[in-house]
Parts: sequence; structure tokens; C-alpha cells
Amino acid sequence: MNNMMIIGQYVPGNSIIHRLDPRTKITVIFFFVVFVFFANSFWSYALLTVFAAVSVIASRVPVRYIAKGLTPIWFLIVFTFLLHLIVTKEGQVAFEIFSWKIYTGGIAQGIAISMRFFLLIVVTSLLTLTTTPIEITDAIEEMLAPLKKVKFPVHELALMMSISLRFIPTLMQETDKISKAQASRGVDFRTGPLKERIKAVVPLLVPLFVSAFKRAEELAMAMEARGYQGGEGRSKLRELRIGKIDVLIYILFICVVAGLFLLRS
Amino acid sequence: MHKSVSHAPFSTSVMEMTKISLVAALYVVVTAWLAVFSFGAIQLRLSEMFNYLALYNKRYVFAITAGVVIANFMSPTWMLDVPIGGTATFLVLIFCRLVTKRIKNEPMKIAVTAIIFAVSMFTVAGQLAIVLDLPFFYTWLTVGLGELLSMTVGGILIYFVGKKIDLSR
Repeated sequence: MNNMMIIGQYVPGNSIIHRLDPRTKITVIFFFVVFVFFANSFWSYALLTVFAAVSVIASRVPVRYIAKGLTPIWFLIVFTFLLHLIVTKEGQVAFEIFSWKIYTGGIAQGIAISMRFFLLIVVTSLLTLTTTPIEITDAIEEMLAPLKKVKFPVHELALMMSISLRFIPTLMQETDKISKAQASRGVDFRTGPLKERIKAVVPLLVPLFVSAFKRAEELAMAMEARGYQGGEGRSKLRELRIGKIDVLIYILFICVVAGLFLLRS
Repeated sequence: MHKSVSHAPFSTSVMEMTKISLVAALYVVVTAWLAVFSFGAIQLRLSEMFNYLALYNKRYVFAITAGVVIANFMSPTWMLDVPIGGTATFLVLIFCRLVTKRIKNEPMKIAVTAIIFAVSMFTVAGQLAIVLDLPFFYTWLTVGLGELLSMTVGGILIYFVGKKIDLSR
């Protein structure tokens, strides 16, 4: 079974970041992503780095989880840095490699872009590392609530997301079971020519689709039997609440943004 | 086996919702389990085949969009991938349905959809250009070609799956 696949990569905990209302986390991270593009000096990047570092420490999420999130994009960060070294021809010549001139502007630009991307990944990872997918779904439902006025099916959307999240592990197990059954009959998904591998995947996909449709119909039957009636007037199992700590985080973040604009060059 | 499903007269909306949810879950599973189908340097994303489902029934437009949103939450750059990927998928699927509405020939529908998706990769190229300052047109070309390849293999797959089960129901 593919144990690497944990939706959202949630790390259970009881840190201050874990206890924050998911709406606070989404809002702060959203604006962090926007304002990181405004950083343009050493000190403005330093401020955002300190904010990111303090957030990671406060979350008490082991650094290895953050590093795991960075693994697939290290190559991209290094590639971007090197690309800027080669392409940007601003400032003075810093040094030469095999008669290729590297400019100070290229180094600065490369570091700035790589740093921006690094900060984006670290801070955005914190949401999925400290919030369960169901909490994220609840937060999205609450945040989209104003759209109900224009008849946008917010509740239905949130419900569908919750059902999907609930059934992902079930379908994963099913996929595993079917692929093992196929493999025991000699099907090889990993090697061989393209045509053969496409052919091998079809007998895996067909039962998966059939199973998904069957489960959907059974679930609809169960919901109907229990008198499910949709959005209006339904109470909630989990209520979200903005607490004092959320307000404090908002104030702190506003201070960081104000500091960022003061430190811009 | 696939005909064993009952046809009881349950509320369409609940049934539609559960079907959308389950197909979205299936999208995530295929994205994760069969994440990359690699052939040396060439890598194909099998989950791209789900885009063709929107041609069979409009409910899949919502199912695939929901699947993309959930799957993109696994990405390290989810803050960009979730809103941009979700919106782009939704709009491109609607556009594909509109464009292919009058095309009767199924392989032709699949080919047109593949090309539309490849061209629509300007969203990913734009994202990379903004975040990483990469050259837009070159990135669009490379990402678009990769998408075209994935969609071609996905098209062949969904064509064969469609022969075995009724995807429009």
C-alpha cells in the first residue's frame, strides 16, 4: 500500500498553530503568499524568514516533515538560481566561470527568487501539516458562506469534499487489492513497452470505476434512508470559533506586513 | 459485473453528489497511486485521462474539479495550485464540453480535448513565470507538450475503459 500518500500530510499535535482556527491559518497564509512578492531587500526577506521560522517552531512540527515537503522542489529552486546566474546581466561582474561572466545582479536575483519560493513552500506547508483535511473543508465552507446569497451550493460542495476525503483511503485499498490480484495473474504495470502497459492498466481501471459508482449509489441510498435533506437548518458536528489567540495572530501578522513595507528598498 | 448496480429512484441530487464525490476520490487515488508512469526521461500523468470524463456527463466537470482541488492540496505549492488549478480545470472542462458538443466521432472528441488541454497549460506556465521568473513561452511549450503526451495516453485509456463501462450514466 502506498503509505506515503497522506492527504494534506497532517501531523497530529496540540501546538498553538494546531489550535488556531483553520480560517485564520488560511487567511494569514494567503496574505503571506501575496506579500512575499513585495519583499525586495535583504531586511524585508530577513523579516519574512524570521516570521516563517517562528511559525515552524511554534507549530512543533518536526523539521523533517517540512524538509520532506521541500524534497520534490529542491531541484526547481537550484535550477531557478542557476538560470538567474546565467541569464541576468545586471550590476558588476562578480566572477567568471569558463569565460562565462557571472554578474552581481544575477546572484542577487537568483538568491531572492529562490528565497521567495523557499518561504512560500515552508509557510504554506504549515497549513496542511497542522490542519486536518476535514477542518480545511469546514473552513472553506465557512469562508464561502457569503456565496450562498447568489445560490452557490456551498454546503453541497463542502459535503462532496468531505465524502471524497472519506473514500480516498477506501479506494486506495481497493486499488491495491485489484493491482495485486492483476499482478498475481502476471500483469506488469511497471515495465515493458508503452502499448503493453496501457493495456495492463485498463483491467485495473474498469473495476475501480465500477466499484466507485457502486459505492456512490449505496451511499446515496443510505443518505436517503436516513432522511438527508441538505444545507438549510442542519446543525454541525464541528463548530469553528475565532478565539483570542486568532485575533493575536492577525495583529502580529499585520505588524509583520507593516514592517515589510518599512523595510522595502 | 458493472451492470449489478441498482436503479432505484433515489433523489437525483443526492445520487449526483455521491457520484461526483466518489469520482473525485478516484481521481485523487489515481493521481497518487499511479502518479507517474515513466518511460525513461518521459513521464506521463495517468490522472489526465479523467479530463475526458467531462465529455460523457457534465457531472464530471464538478467531480474532476473537486479531485484536482483535493489532489493539489498534496502539492508543496498548494496555495497556488489549488485556486489556479481548480479554476483552470473547471473552465477548460466547460470549454471542452462546448467545443466538442457537435462532434460525433469519439476519437475526434478526444483529440480536440487533448489539444485544448495542452494549450491551456499557459496557466501552469504563467504560475512558473510569476513564482520562479522562468521564461513564459518556453515554459508554456515544454509543459504543453508534456500535457499533450499525457492526454494522448489518457485518451487511449479512457477510450478503452469507455468500451467496457457506460461512463455517461
